[in-house]
Amino acid sequence: MSDFFLTAEAEPDEAVKLALRRIDEAQAAGQGSDVEGLRLNEVVVNMGPQHPSTHGVLRLVVTLDGELIKDVIPVVGYLHRCKEKLAEKRTYFQYIPILDRTEYVAGMNCEWAYVMTVEKLTGIRPTRRAEFIRVIVGELSRIASHLVAVGTFTADLAPLGTAMAFYTFRDRELILDLLEEVSGGRMMYNYLRFGGVRYDLPSGWVEQCRDVMKRMPKLIDEYASLVDDNAIFLQRTVGKGVISQQDVVDYGITGPNARASGVELDLRRTRPYSVYPELDFEVCTAQHGDVFDRYRVRMDEMRQSVRIIEQCLDMLPRGPVQSGSLRAPYVVTPPPGSCYVGQENPRGEYGTYIVSDGSRYPYRLKYRDPCFCNLQLFPKLLRGNKIADAVSISGSMDLVLGGIDR
Amino acid sequence: MGLEVGTLKVTMDEIAADLARDFAGDLEDVRIQEPDTIVARLAREKLKDVARRLKAHEDLAYETLNFVAAVDLGAQLESVYHVYSWRTNTWIELHVPVPRAKAEVDTVTDVWPAADWHEREAWDMMGIRYLGHPDLRRILLKDDFVGHPLRKDYVDLAENHPHV
Amino acid sequence: MGLSDMVPDRFKVAYPKLQSFRQPNIVTTTADFVFSWARSNSVFPFTYGLACCAIEMMSAGFARWDVARFGMEVFRPTPRQCDLMIVSGTVNEKMAPVLKRLYDQMAEPKWVISMGACATSGGPFYDGYNVVNGVDKVVPVDVYIPGCPPRPEALFQGLLELQGKIAAYSFTPVLPGARPVKEG
Repeated sequence: MSDFFLTAEAEPDEAVKLALRRIDEAQAAGQGSDVEGLRLNEVVVNMGPQHPSTHGVLRLVVTLDGELIKDVIPVVGYLHRCKEKLAEKRTYFQYIPILDRTEYVAGMNCEWAYVMTVEKLTGIRPTRRAEFIRVIVGELSRIASHLVAVGTFTADLAPLGTAMAFYTFRDRELILDLLEEVSGGRMMYNYLRFGGVRYDLPSGWVEQCRDVMKRMPKLIDEYASLVDDNAIFLQRTVGKGVISQQDVVDYGITGPNARASGVELDLRRTRPYSVYPELDFEVCTAQHGDVFDRYRVRMDEMRQSVRIIEQCLDMLPRGPVQSGSLRAPYVVTPPPGSCYVGQENPRGEYGTYIVSDGSRYPYRLKYRDPCFCNLQLFPKLLRGNKIADAVSISGSMDLVLGGIDR
Repeated sequence: MGLEVGTLKVTMDEIAADLARDFAGDLEDVRIQEPDTIVARLAREKLKDVARRLKAHEDLAYETLNFVAAVDLGAQLESVYHVYSWRTNTWIELHVPVPRAKAEVDTVTDVWPAADWHEREAWDMMGIRYLGHPDLRRILLKDDFVGHPLRKDYVDLAENHPHV
Repeated sequence: MGLSDMVPDRFKVAYPKLQSFRQPNIVTTTADFVFSWARSNSVFPFTYGLACCAIEMMSAGFARWDVARFGMEVFRPTPRQCDLMIVSGTVNEKMAPVLKRLYDQMAEPKWVISMGACATSGGPFYDGYNVVNGVDKVVPVDVYIPGCPPRPEALFQGLLELQGKIAAYSFTPVLPGARPVKEG
């Protein structure tokens, strides 16, 4: 507790120093916005880690020229919880709950990516019923995640306040109820197992799910009717923060952020896993790659997820939900080797790279997190925009810091 | 402009044969990891050159860096690059061994811009120094953290825990 | 209508004298009681989401759970307007100085709720090299809520416990230079 106080005299940290240094370099190179010898034209503003609009503990060190953003230095790591190191001390089975807490808004999908990697390493094959259940819960989780994304994003934009978030969070509860009945948890599921899932669907669940899915398209239309023709919303979103296709290639942007730029990159189609090849759905894309398109792609994807879930409920086969005995997944010892499997998370390609040394513990586990890759593009997107647009652009990128910071 | 996935239909064997032909002497131990990944090893001196040629390859065009993983293999470290080819819709996994005593390897940020943060993370966690990186600072840990925690010989130091 | 009609029953146990003021009349009470009653029913929490628990904290604020029923819906984004910090998530060594600084910026009197296993003890990440095992090593905590993450109901129970604690709090002025001692 000793040297805890950060007083005004405290040394600025590395990121702030870098921002100040860049200003000096720009001045020296004659590119500064120094008008008529005004030395203090550019201001370094610290945004976060506690900021109502950065969705978690993202910190941006912003260099402002008036209201225009000259430069941005994102600072991450305020939620670094050592998850990659913890993998070395936990068995493959014990590690499943930690996955829920990486991208905590879509825990089910993260578990799925990890479980698929271990299954590929060991050669376990899940049963067919389990595959369908995984698709159903994964897509439910995707809808819930997009509801949070869309709700908080519109809450950041002035015209509506939290109005839309009230609607999206209201309906997110319907989905959390379904997931809770299946797994026992509202957000942290710990549901998927190597070779299957933990529990079979409870009785009556299928009808309940069908019921919610029947209501969902109308609810999505309701959200769209709130903002799609709102002049202020359109002014703040259309044409802002454009991601070009070259950016997608250079920076490895994935998920809705890439698809909004017209790239048909969806791992459910391009690197099909589970039973997705048997299902009929569209890859939602948009043309312009701006903030509005990213919002619209998410709305469309929710509709497609509803379609997928309805098909799965119709096709749901009978049978066991766990291959082998129920105790089979508890001790898993993959042969030595390494493997990476990517999976389409609501935010993009989420995957785990696992190096196994043949023991019960992962030798090395590394996440490929979509938000981490998407956030890299941030300085480029924000440069030249107004400071108020930083909020809408960061909202449209749908960042979850639990994933970025490991 | 349309960026499409998998426009070039080739089998994994053909890709492996292409790589063996065009990168003979550079890529070692080329093998296919089903269903869609090529795994290869290369020396760290050749990394930058091979990376450039992989990106500029007319058929395969490995254009997007997916992630960089640093692995501690005990005797040596390893920097693993996972790169995506849009044209063939396949991946290549490059394993670059890095000696423990002098953990340095050339940066690939000028080839694949996405490498920037991934290399910073590998430096932060594993202590691999990427030569020529524009801004090699710690990324996840605080600036004054001591040590590189993902190394197997890392011991938890008291100075990293001022609040116990 | 006397003041006693507005007082919830559970506070009357602590203040039995109020029971007799049933008729429209002059109410005599202590300044302590009025302040405590007012403060306990208008807590301004701080918009400071850290991790997974923050999503549950957001859920608690929205339609189904509706924290407004307890007079706490006005989440303020600046520490200077808040008197309750809900530490909702893992605190690590990089965040701890920031958290302390935000806590110092809050005006007295102020309270801290440690929401979830991570903030209470490190939770599933207790053996990490970068995790502070419990936010109480950084700031004093009033109420601990177990759970990973706690359901919104659990958060409400924590908030109600805190209300009871504030109601029993003494705001008697102290001599200049001395700091009020928190009871509880």
